[in-house]
Amino acid sequence: MDKIRIALAGNPNVGKSTLFNRWTGMRQHVGNWPGKTVEKKEGTFQYNQHEIKVVDLPGNYSLTAYSVEEVVSRDYIVQEKPDVIVNVIDAANIERNLYLTVQMMELGANLILALNMNKFAHEKGLKINKKQLSQLLGVPVIEIEAVDDTGSEKLLETIINVFKSPNIVIDRLKYGNEVSEHVEQIKDIIDSDISGLEAPSSWIAIKLLEDDPEIIKKIEETGKGQRVLREVKKLQKHFNDVFGDDADAAITDARYGFIAGLISESVKKPKIDKVTRSDLIDRIVTHKYLGIPIFLLIMWLTFQITFSLGDPLGGYVEEALAWLGKTIAVSMGDGILTSFIVDGIIGGVGGVLVFVPLIFILFLILSILEDSGYLARAAFVMDRFMHKLVGLHGKSFIPMILGFGCAVPGIMATRTLENERDRLLTMLIIPFMSCSARLPVYALLVAAFFSAYSGWIIFSLYLLGIMVAIMVAAVFKKTIFKGMSAPFVMELPPYRIPTAKGAIIHMWERGALFLKKAGTIILALSLVIWALSSLPVGVEYGSQESITGQIGTVLSPIFAPLGFGEWQATVAIIYGFMAKEVVVSTFGTLYGIGGDDGGEEAPAEGSSSAEEEIAPEENPGFITVMRELFTPLSAYAYMVFVLLYIPCLATLTVIKRETNSWKWPGFAAVYTFVVAYGVSLVIYQGGLLLGF
Amino acid sequence: MMSLALASPNENLKVVQVWHGGKFKNKLSDMGIYKDSQIKVIKNDIPGPLIVDVKGSRLILGRGQAQKIMVEAY
Repeated sequence: MDKIRIALAGNPNVGKSTLFNRWTGMRQHVGNWPGKTVEKKEGTFQYNQHEIKVVDLPGNYSLTAYSVEEVVSRDYIVQEKPDVIVNVIDAANIERNLYLTVQMMELGANLILALNMNKFAHEKGLKINKKQLSQLLGVPVIEIEAVDDTGSEKLLETIINVFKSPNIVIDRLKYGNEVSEHVEQIKDIIDSDISGLEAPSSWIAIKLLEDDPEIIKKIEETGKGQRVLREVKKLQKHFNDVFGDDADAAITDARYGFIAGLISESVKKPKIDKVTRSDLIDRIVTHKYLGIPIFLLIMWLTFQITFSLGDPLGGYVEEALAWLGKTIAVSMGDGILTSFIVDGIIGGVGGVLVFVPLIFILFLILSILEDSGYLARAAFVMDRFMHKLVGLHGKSFIPMILGFGCAVPGIMATRTLENERDRLLTMLIIPFMSCSARLPVYALLVAAFFSAYSGWIIFSLYLLGIMVAIMVAAVFKKTIFKGMSAPFVMELPPYRIPTAKGAIIHMWERGALFLKKAGTIILALSLVIWALSSLPVGVEYGSQESITGQIGTVLSPIFAPLGFGEWQATVAIIYGFMAKEVVVSTFGTLYGIGGDDGGEEAPAEGSSSAEEEIAPEENPGFITVMRELFTPLSAYAYMVFVLLYIPCLATLTVIKRETNSWKWPGFAAVYTFVVAYGVSLVIYQGGLLLGF
Repeated sequence: MMSLALASPNENLKVVQVWHGGKFKNKLSDMGIYKDSQIKVIKNDIPGPLIVDVKGSRLILGRGQAQKIMVEAY
């Protein structure tokens, strides 16, 4: 059986991932490119006795050294030399898409062009003569539809054919006399001076003329590059003198010129641009005055759907866990091991698993919004405000929206921001977006104090989070992140109907991060809480005498000015640092709510007793306790504190991973604590003055 | 000659000069905006970013960035 290694390349939003998912399904591996914070997707599939290993290269417009994604892609092509590269092209945007194609041809890649989204091209009135294009480029051109099976068989056959007899395309490129001539000159010197280079020498010549820092470094490292580099300098100066522009721009021009030639011979365009359906929708969705209300409506619907579907599902998870806890308790009898499993593991991790349906539904909806192209519109609509208020551009808004689900995927999504300063700032404010882990805390306290207007109270917390994020960003922008905001350019993809498979895979990728957190950090933490609440030996589980209780008692005066100076509230905050949803389960553990004997068997939320089969916010025992511990005002101040204070451990860890230092997570932890303390203090003391 | 930020929608324009530096200038040319390229404004609501048409694809372009791109009608 032949093994074929192929790579998928193309601009962003051309349906590359759709094709990748169609081929590999769930048999894909998502990791990072070595040493880079760029996602690497790999998968394998079988076709006609061939085992095909496919790598999904990052979506790029070009192959310069200016972005990590581009460097990763070209290094892969140069060093790993995939047998075949399938270049997915948005047929409706063929001219711009070919810019990348041409650069891969410069690299001597064994290419196949897969024209995708031909329906859109058709709608725009474009007629592409595939045969002509294929002859001009010297590579096969296949029409496909990544969303269904159109052209799939043909594409696979072509992959096998091209694997067996590769195309040689490098000579097809014709870049006007002047440019070609100079590239040739440099190439000749490289060929005579330096041997054993991985990439074609003509490509290296182009890159040297473009002043590509990585390639210049590679040439310097050979130790034989002096003559070449001298010649390059001379020619660059020559370009400047003759064209009044740098060599770089002249080469860009030459590429686009070559493409324009191709297009005029193989694509028929309508005389007058047709107005597409996408344009019609955009007239409303990106409208000056309607844009924002539409955005708010979509967000409101998103949360509405999430909660109305997610809550009952969460209830089932809870029932299942309660049954599991009870079964274990019955079959194992009383004892330290039982307490460890039921209170420690099921109580802690189970309390979090209850929110898994909620989170997955939220991510599913966000994925659908993203895949349909709406999130790009949201970025457009919000740019005005983001710019004015925050000094960030609209693109930063997409990671922030994801932060409503969970900050971890939100922070990872900041990878799409090119400017390091903007990226850091966005990472620092994402934790203020009220993630789904805070919800159980709100749900509990709202049920105890504000049941008449629960929706409004929760809404006010979301809003407060956004407002604090805006204010903090504005302050940071004027202090530590002083300077110009990054230039903003991004593609506005046409609207598309998302595929179920694509949306589900997308949801899974993000949701899995949360599950991983539940499986690792929260599990470990639940065990720590359990141990600290059981020690020293002989104390009542979770009582004031336990280590947990003692820590809470010592630290609680700090929080007295905020209205929640009781040790239990403090303990919940300390543990909540590890994961905010733990706040609820801590209360459960500390009060032994639902516990039948009140002894060391006092279970955490969702464990052994019959009462535990209902959610904490519906549990009368829980509500009574909350009413003893808080007043409505201090309950609100407490929720605000939980919303704003130190991001959870998983968030801090991912900030560390993305910034490669502990400096930023450390900073985030300290400043959010200060902000949370300040805001809660103002709310509580202000509320007291107003007589609440 | 005028700045792209002042152009009205649906006019056929040509880029005369891009007053951006290294990295961003490159990014723009990779996406299809470079000296002598054709460009058309689709949406230009002040304040806020612009939507432009470049070789048939739609790009969102920040207002500040559009101000530094000089165009003329052709």
